Amino acid sequence: MSLAALPALLARDLRLAVRHGGESLMPLFFLFAVLILVPLGVGPGPNLLASIAPGMVWVAALLASLLALENLFRPDFEDGTLEQWWLGHLPVTGLVLIRLLSHWLITGLPVIIFAPLAAQMLYLPDQALGVLLLSLLIGTPILSLVGGLAAALTLGTNRGSVLLSILVFPLVVPVLIFATGAVSAAADGFSPRAHLGLLAALLVLALTLVPLAISAALRLNIE
Amino acid sequence: MIPEFEYAIYVWSSYGIFAVVIAWQIVQPVLYRRRLMAELREELALQSGDYNDPNS
Amino acid sequence: MIWKTIKVGFHRLGSPASFYRFSTLVSPWLWAGFALCTAIGIYYALYVVPPDYQQSDSFRILYVHVPSAWQAMAGYVVMSILAAIALIWRIRMTEIMAMMCAPIGAAFTAICLATGSIWGRPMWGTWWEWDARLTSMLVLLFIYLGIMGLYAAFDDRRKGARVACILILVGLVNIPIIHFSVEWWTTLHQGKTIRIFGESSMHYSMMPPLIWMTIAVKLMFGAALLDRSRNELLTQDRRKGWVQKKLKSQGVS
Repeated sequence: MSLAALPALLARDLRLAVRHGGESLMPLFFLFAVLILVPLGVGPGPNLLASIAPGMVWVAALLASLLALENLFRPDFEDGTLEQWWLGHLPVTGLVLIRLLSHWLITGLPVIIFAPLAAQMLYLPDQALGVLLLSLLIGTPILSLVGGLAAALTLGTNRGSVLLSILVFPLVVPVLIFATGAVSAAADGFSPRAHLGLLAALLVLALTLVPLAISAALRLNIE
Repeated sequence: MIPEFEYAIYVWSSYGIFAVVIAWQIVQPVLYRRRLMAELREELALQSGDYNDPNS
Repeated sequence: MIWKTIKVGFHRLGSPASFYRFSTLVSPWLWAGFALCTAIGIYYALYVVPPDYQQSDSFRILYVHVPSAWQAMAGYVVMSILAAIALIWRIRMTEIMAMMCAPIGAAFTAICLATGSIWGRPMWGTWWEWDARLTSMLVLLFIYLGIMGLYAAFDDRRKGARVACILILVGLVNIPIIHFSVEWWTTLHQGKTIRIFGESSMHYSMMPPLIWMTIAVKLMFGAALLDRSRNELLTQDRRKGWVQKKLKSQGVS
């Protein structure tokens, strides 16, 4: 079995994202829109902003990952490419993982890259910055996995987008809790290891089970 | 008859919520079934030809 | 021999017509049992049991709060088992029953959250606290609502049911989190005081109403599940032969 086609799928997804240009920059714009609106909304006091900074960055990351979910599988579903996934010789879970990886590269990675800037804008204490980046690095893939699952489940419905966010919300609550818990602990000078460990455990759990659930859901939807 | 408690409002409102939600669980299937049966009866009448059109 | 009878009976329940007959027969008895157990339970809970020395009378909320919480979780486990059966063996009746568990489970979760919040007001001095158990229970409510929404969003009921079954199995990870939340994290919500095995830290005089209410709520779950499944079955099969035959033979009642 040749797996050479997997990088090709990744390259195609990324090329499509780049050629859509503005659309793939939306998560970043969104991140900064949230980060600019928050100080204007709650007032620019450094203490208040510092204490809500981890939550704000994380909520922005979550919303950014929600943005691109609607079209994660839908175009392929509508033009029939998705059915080819089952006809080809490649393992479907592998294809699913590749698709999720490209989603993460488009929505998760830009957020991580610009997180230091966001942290500065919200006066996050310097000792918490490393933990924030680490928590984003571990946590945003979970967001992509869970979001991908919701996208796959709602594929056969015609009013997916509202349902999509309702499905994603309860499943990402633990991620949000542990990630912001880690950053807050670090900001207060405690060890963030327990939170980060739990977050990593969630990632492992999601990485093992979610691709299977996604391929089962896609399978049901193309039947 | 009704016992008077120290935290009466809290206790009674809890039992009230319980009663209301459970009652809805009992009533909902009955109402649904009644509506469904009316629809089915209408369809059956339409098929067999003895349907009295209320609008005519 | 007995085993075989049970097995055949179980398989027969998979057929819509037999399930319809079975549920029509059994559900009134479950409702009657529920009414009896609730009457006894509430009588004990409000009249017989003496006030708690620390919480005074407010602990009486326990007798609706705890059984609902247990049933909200037990209902999810039942739903997951049905969903697993539906996905593996593709038995249509279990698909329908799994889907019909969701609104009942959501109702119990809502009762649990509402009564817990009312209980928290005099005891903790707050309506709501973002602690692990309360949050995970709220998440459970949204998972239930998500399952209902997902099922309703599909035009093809069977496809909707199967897709929602996958979501049910994914959401199952929340159940252990709720159960152990009071042990894993130090929270405002009190720890486990009632144990089936070993010593309960609850006084034995407080136990009988809890047992009655728990049984009552279980019977009610079963009764409501049968009623709802029967309705859903009738809606889906309204054009099928067995429904038409039933309608014609017994008139429409």
